Amino acid sequence: MIEGSFGRYAGPATLILSSLADGPKHGYALTKDIEAFAGVRLAPGTLYEALSRLDGQGLIEALESDDRRRPYRLTAAGAAALRSHLATQRRVVDLGLRRLAGSWGTA
Amino acid sequence: MSGSSDEALRRAERLVRWYPKGWRSHYGDEFAELLAADIFERPRSWRRDADVLKSGLVARLTTVGLSGHALEPLDQVRTSLVTLGCAAAVFLAFGMAMWAQLTIGWQWAEPNTRGTFAAMVVMCASVLVLFVVMALAAVPIAGKVVTLAVHRRAKGLVRPSMLFVAGLGVLVLGARHFANGWPGTGGHPWFHQGLVPGGVAAFTWASTLSVSSYWAHPGALGSFPIGEVTWMAVSPVAMVCLVVGAAKTARRLDLSPRVLGYESCLAHVAALGMAVFLAGSCSWIFDGGSGPQNLFHPGAIDVAEVLAMTAALAVAFRATHRAHRDGLAFLTG
Repeated sequence: MIEGSFGRYAGPATLILSSLADGPKHGYALTKDIEAFAGVRLAPGTLYEALSRLDGQGLIEALESDDRRRPYRLTAAGAAALRSHLATQRRVVDLGLRRLAGSWGTA
Repeated sequence: MSGSSDEALRRAERLVRWYPKGWRSHYGDEFAELLAADIFERPRSWRRDADVLKSGLVARLTTVGLSGHALEPLDQVRTSLVTLGCAAAVFLAFGMAMWAQLTIGWQWAEPNTRGTFAAMVVMCASVLVLFVVMALAAVPIAGKVVTLAVHRRAKGLVRPSMLFVAGLGVLVLGARHFANGWPGTGGHPWFHQGLVPGGVAAFTWASTLSVSSYWAHPGALGSFPIGEVTWMAVSPVAMVCLVVGAAKTARRLDLSPRVLGYESCLAHVAALGMAVFLAGSCSWIFDGGSGPQNLFHPGAIDVAEVLAMTAALAVAFRATHRAHRDGLAFLTG
């Protein structure tokens, strides 16, 4: 489900959902948080392209705000999608590390 | 707020205008805020500006059902089919201009090469198929509009329908007038000399008179009667009114999945018909021969028409694919 949902947008989508996993954030806070934990600065266009896609898929939702900056939060479907995607990624990471250790030894 | 942050917000709001209206009404304010903060931190960044241009284009393609971002299935089918209709209209505007020129040539002399002869037969057959498909596609849409009008539930359809009727009316009346005004195309009785009756060829020629290389030669254009030049300027506006009116009407109609499935089948046939027509056009371009006495000699405008038709066909194929993959396939399981 997760690959089909994110497709080639898996990168920004994973970063955004991971950032929202610890609470709602607006666009600027998302950019700063993602830059801090992943070392990647999502450009505004890319961020909102992914946000509108995730919003359309029901994986995140906008919260009411008096400010022009509207916060987003993860939905239950979004949390399940992120969990499933990260589990797949972890399997890939574990396999890659095991194979590396087998052929190249541990660093 | 300081002067530089004001300036950043103004620049951000200018950039946000590139996004479609629907997207702006939903995300515009918050996106402008983020963009302004980014511009304040990095006043000059071509990467950011390019990123905004790219994502704005994606948002525009999404609203016409062409991006990788699927809409809700029914909306996806409806949007993609409307986009296909618009692409087909652009294709026909250029294709009919080329076809009219060739069919009028055939009123006077037969094509001078086998390739051109074959190309014209193929083009005539595909034009026939395309117009039959258009008529078949229009039946359920017109039926729905009439039904809603009879039950006085066509409130949102009045303006687009009137735009369509106005565009069609101007185009038909103007093309009839100018078709009859030129003796070379005025429906003379030499029916046997071509695949297409002279009156039809003349009408098509007159309705696509604006697709002309004379725009690049103002001196020659200045020697035309003022009425003809005015028609060359007015007829594209009428075409746009006709297409926009039809597109808005179709988009606002709540068509059932069954009707959308029917329209989608016709869309496949239309895309195939356009591809066949384009193949015929290319065959003529490569085999039309040369020389000022040759009625079938292709020129630079014809190459430009082929390029425009190719672009319209690419959009049509993409729209047909999206309507089927993300809409109908989902609806029918």
